[in-house]
Amino acid sequence: MERRHHSQSHSQRQQGRNHFSSSSSNQSRSNNRFSFPKSSSSSSSANDVRDRRRETQEEKQEEAIVGTCPFMCPEAERLQRQRLRDLAVFERLHGDPRNSSPALAVKKFCRTMSAKEVRASDVRPLPVLEETLNYLLSLLDSTEHPFEVIHDFVFDRTRSVRQDLIMQNIVNDKAINMFEKIVKFHVISHHKLRSSCSSSSISPLHYLNLEQLTKALTSLYNLYEANWSSKPIHEKEAEFRSFYVLLHLDSNGQPVGESLSLWFRHVPSPIIKSKEMWFARQALRYFQMGNYRRFLSTVAAEASYLQYCIIEPYIDEVRSLALCCIHNCYYKLHPYPLGHLSKVLMMEESDVELFCNAYGLQTCIDELGNKLLPTKQTTFCRPKGGLQNYSFLGFQQLGRQIEL
Amino acid sequence: MAYMSMGEAHRRITDYLNRFSDAVSSQDVVSLKQLLSFSSNSPSLLSLADSLNVFQDANRLIKQSDNYSPFADITVPLFRSLQHYRTGNLVDAYLAFEKSANAFIQEFRNWESAWALEALYVIAYEIRVLAERADRELASNGKSPEKLKAAGSFLMKVFGVLAGKGSKRVGALYLTCQLFKIYFKLGTVHLCRSVIRSIETARIFDFEEFPKRDKVTYMYYTGRLEVFNENFPAADQKLSYALINCNPQSEANIRMILKYLIPVKLSIGILPKDWLLEKYNLVEYSNIVQALRRGDLRLLRHALEEHEDQFLRSGVYLVLEKLELQVYQRLFKKIYIIQKQKDPSKAHQMKLDVIVKALKWLEMDMDVDEPSLWMSRWNV
Repeated sequence: MERRHHSQSHSQRQQGRNHFSSSSSNQSRSNNRFSFPKSSSSSSSANDVRDRRRETQEEKQEEAIVGTCPFMCPEAERLQRQRLRDLAVFERLHGDPRNSSPALAVKKFCRTMSAKEVRASDVRPLPVLEETLNYLLSLLDSTEHPFEVIHDFVFDRTRSVRQDLIMQNIVNDKAINMFEKIVKFHVISHHKLRSSCSSSSISPLHYLNLEQLTKALTSLYNLYEANWSSKPIHEKEAEFRSFYVLLHLDSNGQPVGESLSLWFRHVPSPIIKSKEMWFARQALRYFQMGNYRRFLSTVAAEASYLQYCIIEPYIDEVRSLALCCIHNCYYKLHPYPLGHLSKVLMMEESDVELFCNAYGLQTCIDELGNKLLPTKQTTFCRPKGGLQNYSFLGFQQLGRQIEL
Repeated sequence: MAYMSMGEAHRRITDYLNRFSDAVSSQDVVSLKQLLSFSSNSPSLLSLADSLNVFQDANRLIKQSDNYSPFADITVPLFRSLQHYRTGNLVDAYLAFEKSANAFIQEFRNWESAWALEALYVIAYEIRVLAERADRELASNGKSPEKLKAAGSFLMKVFGVLAGKGSKRVGALYLTCQLFKIYFKLGTVHLCRSVIRSIETARIFDFEEFPKRDKVTYMYYTGRLEVFNENFPAADQKLSYALINCNPQSEANIRMILKYLIPVKLSIGILPKDWLLEKYNLVEYSNIVQALRRGDLRLLRHALEEHEDQFLRSGVYLVLEKLELQVYQRLFKKIYIIQKQKDPSKAHQMKLDVIVKALKWLEMDMDVDEPSLWMSRWNV
């Protein structure tokens, strides 16, 4: 390839004679004191160039391994982990921490420096990966173990599945299908892990899950783009693209990857016009404007289950804003019925009462038995600890949407 | 093509080679850059290409002469590239040009002074433009376009050559701008970060030393990056710098700067005059400006829809969408003013049904709750 010829010719010239330059070729390099993103010295820059080119399709195919491991876990790894008693709960044969089997052991995630270090016998081919993923996702239905334990295992093992797919440069429809399933897992975990942690601070598990969700999502988008010429639109692409918008609702928050404005530039037009994307953009618009009414009612009306899971953290924020606004100006003259508040906040009435109480507001009952917020309360304050999880009206219907 | 004799072809080739070696030995950058500028499609380069097709043994000619063989690594692939360029074979033209450019860089590093900097600029420009065309060719043949990415890697290497203590470092900003153009085109905008860091925080460069033209281009691109990141004060500062220092004659460049500066200014409440929008053909913003002036929500939504694709592609859509809040504020202020005029004693109480009526007239379908929402936000 062209690149390698460059480096060879350069080193040849260094050894040969320069007819028309009198100074040595090392002169301009000696004054470099600064760290540059790419080194300016000749030999390592040739390597840099080759490394960067590694990403091009040709290089990928040259270096892509074809895996041959027939099991969910390479035998050598399984035997080693058995010896070291490094078996997860799900991998133990009859609960024995020293014994596993090919039906139970699943390859652990392990960082590799480069594809060159990996043996083909350690990498699982596509059919095995598909089986492995299906097996892993089936564990999510288990009721024997707490969700965190299941999540932790599936989290790690699906990361290894992703790694095997990428290493082998598998970019077809099946890869897309698998990445979509993995993203779904992360999204549902995003919701479930939140429910299980009581404090307002985000647990490490939750944070790490979000990190992998974003990475898997980015890989998925690359796959969509790689398949653009053969199949322009995938069935679920619009929904999965909308997740990116929903993850970036808060422009002041931690930027995760590209800014939205930049990201939108290379989203295909049909996706932008899809209803899933339209929903996400409306949610973004209302959230940024602070229009809690429309935000919450649009979410209730339009969000899919997965979209809801992603947007859930923002819902609390919006409800908080809503209560604050209402407290500031609505019920100065008349008490505010909780029934109405329940519709505004898209929350069950019983939860509304708890919610108000958490914000230092009392409720009362009128002669007809309706619950109200009495007027002119001065005890409004933000809750110091975290909020518990409140219902969302219509959530049950959303829940029926999922199929993994 | 008129018939060219072997002798004539030979003469033209040696003519070029003589001019090349003369330019180098007398450090004549003006002549040198003309010899490298393929995209100028100059008659002399085109006829050189034709000559190379007629006299097919140029390589031997170069290598056997003491005058020409020192630059063989540059001229041999350069000739090859030129021939491919002439026959419209852009991928091969790019590959050969890059090889030639690489050899040129090696020589450039050995030249003590920065005399050949402008020739280097020409090479950087040609690399980018050839790579773009090569990618178009690859894409049209159903292959994956990756030459522009390779050009980016190559130019990063050249950037490294220029960074240092010598007089050559003033060329680094030009290289940076070529890299920006590549990264923006490829959508790999995050790669700009590392080169920006080198320019701005590494202590080699004094920004004021760079040529004005390069500073304007640099501020334009970094200003755009600030727009993408919604960092408006910084975007305002950089794009304004670019505008002020831009050549007043180059209307196309001014237009490009304004395209991004206007949304930024709108976000901080500064409206452009209509004549500015007309003069620079930025009429897509006219309705938005109008909507802001009048507090016309309907017009804003309409304008956003009408130019949605364009605004999304340039990356200003989300910035403009956020103006909705300002439009609401303007509307309510106008209602307030009108009410105050009608009944000064009740000015502090804005009637909700008046507001709902106004919003309905603007085709914004709302119940009574919503306007109250705005009021509470602004503590009216």
